[in-house]
Parts: sequence; structure tokens; C-alpha cells
Amino acid sequence: MEDDYFSIEAILAENQKLQCTFKYDIADMGHIGGGNERDLKALSKRQIPLWLAYTIIYSDWADFTIPTPFSSKVRNALKAESRSVRLSSLVGAGGLWYGFGKTIMEMLSDDQGLELSETLTKAFVARLTEIVDQAQHFAALGAAGSSRPGGDATSAFREGLDGTERELFSLAQESTRRSKKWYEDHNKARR
Amino acid sequence: MSLPQSLRTSVIPEELELIACQELIEIVPFVAMDKTVFISGEFGPLKPPIKSRIPLWMALNLKAKKKCRILAPDWMNVEYLQDRLNRETTQPEFSDLPFRFAEISRILLDAAPDDIDNVDKLRSLLKDLREARQSKSREGLAKLDHSELSLPNLCSMEINEIRPVFIRSMGVMTQLVRTPAQDP
Repeated sequence: MEDDYFSIEAILAENQKLQCTFKYDIADMGHIGGGNERDLKALSKRQIPLWLAYTIIYSDWADFTIPTPFSSKVRNALKAESRSVRLSSLVGAGGLWYGFGKTIMEMLSDDQGLELSETLTKAFVARLTEIVDQAQHFAALGAAGSSRPGGDATSAFREGLDGTERELFSLAQESTRRSKKWYEDHNKARR
Repeated sequence: MSLPQSLRTSVIPEELELIACQELIEIVPFVAMDKTVFISGEFGPLKPPIKSRIPLWMALNLKAKKKCRILAPDWMNVEYLQDRLNRETTQPEFSDLPFRFAEISRILLDAAPDDIDNVDKLRSLLKDLREARQSKSREGLAKLDHSELSLPNLCSMEINEIRPVFIRSMGVMTQLVRTPAQDP
């Protein structure tokens, strides 16, 4: 999520591929993206890792298509009911959907970028309450492993959290657990 | 950073309790004592049966030795808290309570229940207050944006409880908001 060079999270968020369409013939670069030919032809499409895509796109050698995790299908689903979208399955286990989105957003032109930013922010806020609610619920249950309540919808939501949301979940759970313990540790002999 | 991970995110409730012990409270001493000088100020002299204002930790110490009677602070009675609870449930904003009311009320209810009237009623009122306020801070979560959050009258224990989540999520949102015209 951060721009920090040493942020492990930022590195992990770049563990995604972008579909790029090359604009020019590039000699001796056919191996990029796992191709077999010797040269890269113009208009050929390749899946380029995000960290490499930066350079290629900023140097104007290629255009990229918005990747599926941020396609209009996903955006519409988020608009309809953001809680029912499984972000984790969009970016793979432990993937960082928001981090990926932020990277894409920075490469887009202003109009598209603002639209994506709005989508990301709205999805985040809409899902946040549910995350904290569930975290508090689980903190109240005490030790993990007791019966899993809430039915399918809530457990599906939990599995669909992306890496950033998982971190928030555990933060909320930990602080709730701590406060709850303090509030309930009543009758112990004082000093 | 040599602190364990669990202590890095925020202050723990026990530490807040310790801080709350610096607040002043009125007692009726049973023993006479000369003026005592601390870094935080001078307290006493204690002359029974004249009321005296001393730090809470000192009052607790004297109380444990049965050398004083603690007078509940003026907000810690059934009428006041009932009034606040009514406001809490009827009005959208947080009602104003002392900043460290959660800590102080708990300490006093634990350490000096015999000096306070209607202990059980107070306990249940405090619990209701806590729950009503909790649901409000939950609503605050839905209104979160990246730059600011204003929740007046939130007390220290509640701030501490929501701090890690709010800070982290505002951090995430700062990253997600696109600032126009940042072209290189």
C-alpha cells in the first residue's frame, strides 16, 4: 500500500500481471512475458509483471488493459453490494487488491484514475463496518475455534477479505479483546 | 523498537488506568498526616474529619489500609448518569462525560464499593452507557474519510479501543485517494 521502497506490502502488491499491448517492434525482446519468438512484434499482447510494466508503460512502448480485478463487471458488483464481492479470489490468496488497485490507478489518466479511486474508496468504506463488526464478534467469542456462527454469508465474507482487510480485522479483534478483558476483569482484588 | 508487537499499536487499558490514577479525588481521612510533597504537587495535610483532595492512587492506598473514605466524584451518581444515558440514547452525538470516566468509575467501584451508593445500579448504568456509545463509534466508522474524523466527547478508553483500526483504515484511504496533478 505504501510507496516505501522497503515496504514488503508494496512488493507483494506488485506480484500481479498486466496485459500489455506493444506499440512497436522491439528486437531481441521476445522472451519477455514468456514468449518464444526472437523479436517482439507490434500489437502483440503479453502478460507483463507489474514491476516491469511500469517502465514499459511510462516509456510509451506499450498500452495496458485494465486487469480483471478492476473490470467493469467487478465494479458493478461492488456498486450493487460491495460485501458480496470476494476480493481475495480476484487477486489470489493473500493478495492485496487495494494495493494493486492503487498501482493501476497511478498509471491511469486522470479521469479513469479518479473513477477507480472512487470505486476503491467506496468499496473500502462499505466493507469496513462489516469487517469491524465481525472482528468484534469474534473477539467476544473468546478463544478462536469455538463454534462458527453467522452462517454462510458471513463466513464467505471473511474468506473474501483481501490482505489489507485481513490486517484490519486482526487489529480490530485484538483491541476489542483487550478492552473487553479490562472491562470484565472486575472483582479481582485490587492492590 | 523492543516493545512486543501487541504493545506497539496503542496504549493498553491498564496503562490508561494508571494514568487515571493521577486525577484528584476528594476523601475524608481517618488519620492525620503532614503535608506531602510530590513532583506533581503538594497534597495534604490530612486532618480528620476535614475533606481533602489528593491523587486517586494515594486515596486507593489509604483506602486499602482503611485510613480514609473516598467521596464519589460529583458525576458518579445515579441521577447524573441516568441523565447522560437518556441523552445518549436520544441524541445523535456523544454526551459529555469526564474524559477518564470509564477508568475512574471502574477503579472506584472495585476498590471502594462501600463508599458509593447504589453500586449495582451504577454498574448497570455504566454498562448501558458503554454499549450506547460503542454503537455510535461504530456509526462513525461508516462516515470515515481519509483526512479527518471528528467525534467530540469520546473518552480516553473508547478512543483507545478504536484507535488501531481507525488509524490504519485512514492510512489506507489516504493511499486510495487520488491527488490530481501529481504528474512527474
